[in-house]
Amino acid sequence: MLVNAPSMEELVEALRCLPGVGKRSAERMALHLLSAPAEEAQRLSEAITTARARIRTCSICCDLTEADPCAVCSSGRRDRGVICVVERPAGTIAIERGGGFQGLYHVLHGALNPLEGAGPDELTVNRLMARVDKGDVREVIVATNATAEGEATALYLSRQLGTKGVAVSRIAHGVPMGGGLEYADDATLSHALEGRVRL
Amino acid sequence: MHLTSLTAEGFRCLEPLTFEPAPGVNILRGDNAQGKTSVLEAVLFLVTARSHRTNTERELVQRDAESFRIRGAFQRSDRPLQMEVNWWRNTKRFKVNGVTQDRVSDILGKVNVVFFAPEDVALIRGAGSLRRRFLDMELSQLSSRYLHALQRYRESLRQRNELLRGDKMDDSLLDVWDAQLAQHGAVLVEERGRFVQELNEHARQAHACIAGGEAMTAVYAPNVSPETGLEAALRKARQGDIKRGATNRGPHRDDFELVLEDRPARNYASQGQQRTAALALKLAEVALIEARTGEYPLLMLDDVLSELDAKRSRRLLEAVPPGVQCILTTTENDGGTPAFEAADAQFVIDGGCLARR
Repeated sequence: MLVNAPSMEELVEALRCLPGVGKRSAERMALHLLSAPAEEAQRLSEAITTARARIRTCSICCDLTEADPCAVCSSGRRDRGVICVVERPAGTIAIERGGGFQGLYHVLHGALNPLEGAGPDELTVNRLMARVDKGDVREVIVATNATAEGEATALYLSRQLGTKGVAVSRIAHGVPMGGGLEYADDATLSHALEGRVRL
Repeated sequence: MHLTSLTAEGFRCLEPLTFEPAPGVNILRGDNAQGKTSVLEAVLFLVTARSHRTNTERELVQRDAESFRIRGAFQRSDRPLQMEVNWWRNTKRFKVNGVTQDRVSDILGKVNVVFFAPEDVALIRGAGSLRRRFLDMELSQLSSRYLHALQRYRESLRQRNELLRGDKMDDSLLDVWDAQLAQHGAVLVEERGRFVQELNEHARQAHACIAGGEAMTAVYAPNVSPETGLEAALRKARQGDIKRGATNRGPHRDDFELVLEDRPARNYASQGQQRTAALALKLAEVALIEARTGEYPLLMLDDVLSELDAKRSRRLLEAVPPGVQCILTTTENDGGTPAFEAADAQFVIDGGCLARR
């Protein structure tokens, strides 16, 4: 009976720190790890330790990477004149998966958020400015999230970059491809209407 | 639009409730503290996800209980509509026609209600924040564009205020939050201006009807006029904002003024005039919602008859457009007032138990 088992409680709490994991799921995961063969748990714990030890941020784009500079930054086939700015590493994964983007990335590791104490110094804004100052960059595409914080960050970046002679663009927001209009929510639709393009 | 059936379990002091009002005027009578207002509150919570009496939802659940459930069946002009809310330990789940709704904002506007409570006279007499809340609540029901802009505006305002108070403040950072406020604030000002103008048309008529000809006007008073522009106003006020650590200009300081015979109702109107003016506003809302959505809202009047003389209560009921479903509560027990004569159905509530008469 797992009543009063502090190590179990500790495990559940540790799992709950993961995004999207609530109390029930954490318990289920913990019970699974404890009832499965010991090697399975061992493998997970080693995978976490190894990944943590090997993965760091890229010294150029600040994305997470095992090799520094990262595969994108060191690739000879990418267009070095275009930088796409995202809030989180998840953003680069999403855009890479979409294919089609041939430029480089820059990961801010957040957005401007005074309530959480995040200003430009907490983000990697200075590193981005330094990259642009080197002079190879023609365009910066700001792909921060469509939240109040993401929009404020986009505006901030466009103003900071405005004096540097590069084109600054914002990704479009609108109706998902292949989706009927009826599936888009009201806010997305009205945004899509406002941002319409001439045919 | 009308409510055909309401059931509630575990809500306030109500015994398991089944309430089947008639399409027209319904009177709910009972002594104080028997549950009249709770019946109206249950309807309100079901369709707006909030209570007019409290922001602490835990107060809504019966003592010693952990959950409540409210279900309502409505008849719209085109089709029937089922709404359901299950509240359990501070989480609530809404269903519309049996389908779980992911976001609370998805249920707003499915069923429109107009609610008048005795404390709504504060709409006339009270602080501007109450009139803003009125505008926000009504417009959020009518326009998803407004609701979205309001949410974004409030988020940006909190962020800007935090920035003003923090030690990381600089002009270029304030600039971007100013721009966000200006963008979303412009939507608020535009929609509020249009709303108050329409409200004014309807309120004037309703007021003239109840008050026998006395003229009332509603005028929108934006804190920053569209001609000045919010971004410019914020820039001008910036030094003061920094000193006080708060944003002093913008739609979060808007108001609208009610004028009775050329004098501000807030300062000059008598108690009875203020009550009549507040009722006229609510009736204006009824007309306005009909004009915008093609469907009359459900009108709920909590305890208004007790404060009106026979002449005014008769005129009030005359001012309610035919076809509007209206639920009135009253403590009066004699059937002599004109309201009782006009009623299509009467209910009595006693100790949380409701029965049709």
